[in-house]
Amino acid sequence: MKRKFGNRFLYIAIAYLAILGAAAAAAPWVAPHNPTAQNLENRFEAPSFTHPLGTDNFGRDVLSRVIHGSRSALMVGLVSVSIALVIGSIVGLIAALSRGLVENTLMLLMDSLLSFPTVLLAITVVSFLGYGLVQVMVAIGVIYSPVFARLVRAEALSIKTEGYVEASRALGTPILKIVFKHILPNLLGKVVVQCSITFALSVVIEASLSYLGLGTQPPTPSWGLMLKDARNYLIQAPWMAVYPGLALALTVFSFNILGDSLSERFNPRVYRR
Amino acid sequence: MIGNKRSPLRRFIWTAAFILLAGGMLFAGAQPEEKLLNFALSGNPDTLDPHKTSGTLTFQTLKSVYDTLVEPDEEGKLIPALAERWEVSGDGKTWTFYLRKGVVFHNGDPLTAADVKATLERIKDEATASPNRNEFEPIQSIETPDDLTVVLRLNEPWSPLIGTLGSGWGAILPKSLIDSGHDFASQPVGTGPFRMTEWVRDSRIVLEKNEDYWMKGHPKLDKVVMNIIPERAVQVQGLITGEVDVSYIIDEEDVPVLEDSGGVTVERNPTSLILVMAINCSDPVLSDLRVRQAITHAIDKQKVLDVAYGGGNPIATFMDYGNAYYKDFTDLYPYDPDKARSLLAQAGVGDDVVLEMALPQNYPPHVKAGEVYQEMLSDVGLNVEIKLVDWSTWISDVYRQAKYDLTVIGHTGKLDPHGTLADYGRENKYVRWVNDECAQLIDKAAVTSGFEARKKLYDQALEIMAREAPFMFLGTSLRRVVYQNNVVDFRMTPSLDTFDFRWTDLK
Repeated sequence: MKRKFGNRFLYIAIAYLAILGAAAAAAPWVAPHNPTAQNLENRFEAPSFTHPLGTDNFGRDVLSRVIHGSRSALMVGLVSVSIALVIGSIVGLIAALSRGLVENTLMLLMDSLLSFPTVLLAITVVSFLGYGLVQVMVAIGVIYSPVFARLVRAEALSIKTEGYVEASRALGTPILKIVFKHILPNLLGKVVVQCSITFALSVVIEASLSYLGLGTQPPTPSWGLMLKDARNYLIQAPWMAVYPGLALALTVFSFNILGDSLSERFNPRVYRR
Repeated sequence: MIGNKRSPLRRFIWTAAFILLAGGMLFAGAQPEEKLLNFALSGNPDTLDPHKTSGTLTFQTLKSVYDTLVEPDEEGKLIPALAERWEVSGDGKTWTFYLRKGVVFHNGDPLTAADVKATLERIKDEATASPNRNEFEPIQSIETPDDLTVVLRLNEPWSPLIGTLGSGWGAILPKSLIDSGHDFASQPVGTGPFRMTEWVRDSRIVLEKNEDYWMKGHPKLDKVVMNIIPERAVQVQGLITGEVDVSYIIDEEDVPVLEDSGGVTVERNPTSLILVMAINCSDPVLSDLRVRQAITHAIDKQKVLDVAYGGGNPIATFMDYGNAYYKDFTDLYPYDPDKARSLLAQAGVGDDVVLEMALPQNYPPHVKAGEVYQEMLSDVGLNVEIKLVDWSTWISDVYRQAKYDLTVIGHTGKLDPHGTLADYGRENKYVRWVNDECAQLIDKAAVTSGFEARKKLYDQALEIMAREAPFMFLGTSLRRVVYQNNVVDFRMTPSLDTFDFRWTDLK
């Protein structure tokens, strides 16, 4: 019974993400209007046939902005997760394979990064690098690398002591070959799950930073920025806040569902239940 | 020993205290209700020392605590305050102020010429590091022939001085506390209509009526609580629920909601802001006058004022709309996108030139205006990129070091035009616009006395600024003051944007 519901949610999530991905990829063709074109005569227009989700405080089409906003969201997720994944995996593998002082130093560094609240750390990094989408992606990538480093190191340590790996080492296989042939493929499952969850978190952080004015710069559409603009008009034009908020919530929700179900699939104990 | 447990004196004190307390309670019961005004202040002042800041919030608070020698009336004309009258010698170098009799500070000291002298010396003292110190520079010596007369000797005839003395930074402090090194930053002591009794940072400032105020019958309120509420939406809610009596930062977009609530009055008053898009004239592209003209031709000023600032009057030179020195040049470079395009074509500027527009992100109206500007400029073929910056970066990089191409800001009004115009035409201003003729006209006007004579010089200077367009001059916006229907006569000081609670009453 429980699995059935879980599956239904999973399908919804996958369908939503597919639509979102397609919308982001085809945004210029799908969006009914130019997302940055102002129409100062039609400000705060309620949802109508020409503007299905209404217009904002500059008379811009909210639907087009939500569609284009998915681009910044997905781009940030993709790029920052990749950065985190690459940095984290390299650090984690080096730590697991070297042990001793190198391992301790690297992990101490990672742990100290982990000890900061993420949004605070993101703000610090961004104010150091300057405001903008690229800086935000780098910041989020750096911030989430310790999560991957911890995960990769722990997994690599346990895989390293498996019988087949020890046998392979005893036969004199070079360490790099062991990494690519035995360790990385076995890590994949857990890493994919973590990617999905981190993706959701990155989208939220991008929105938070843009909301604070530190992320995506206007007039480029971003959900966080749209929420920031909408905040002052909640009573007159609620549609300005509702739709980007909904898109953001559904995206995060979908990635979390996806992550959960992947983790069930890759975890043998849960899977056999 | 007095401290003895059963001493008659001790018993007497207890009895007296009891009687006083009981009597006080009875008396309080019979008294009319305390007149309390809940005011919404948009932020926390950085300090309450009038000589150590240029923060508007500080002067807005201190207007009720301190007095100045002269003050602006409702039209912005300077009228007597602590000085009953004043005289200026024929050569404009000797200024004599005759102080009002019987004025007392909140600590009980009577106001004398010595207090004025000590105050002015405090401002001129380099150790005080007053940001407005240079405005007092022309004062060479301060003499006090008697207790109620102050004579200022200047090294040149300096007309702007009277405006300086009437501004918040000319507040008069008591000499005894200046000498004892009193902490004016958190405990202001002045002669003003209210005493500050409490300042809970980021929460509220409490002002209580000064019973001995020199203006007879004023103030009418017993107490003003300035609630520090930075969020506009919270102020709007406060006005609807009645927790806030007066708010002065309401947006045009909030007006329908407030009017529907029925309990409040919305008043639209002109501010004294000079809203501009500043242009960095040291930039190779923007140093071309045709490009700056094109920028002005590209902007539909009224539309920007309506969308970003909630309405106002367009201007075309560096003076606020309601000012006596204002001159109209709006026909010089009117809204004409085609003209803008052809000027840009002549100048050879295409969309390969990227102009960065720095916007101070803590001022949402300027950010909004910036977004509209960007759209209007891209419509005539300019490639403008927006960069949001925080306030400290704006001050240090944009305003002090001129590291920007375009930026959007508002200049607050001054009582004297010299405060607004000083140094324009010289390269130390953030627009980096150099024009000797304009700078000299402004200098000359400062040492000229008489409104007509000064206006003639300022007219010329303002015309040069209008033609040379170191700014895209937008306009002067309206301010929306919203108050509960039972609030009477809430005033704001023209040009200074401070609150005058002396006249305010509750019905």
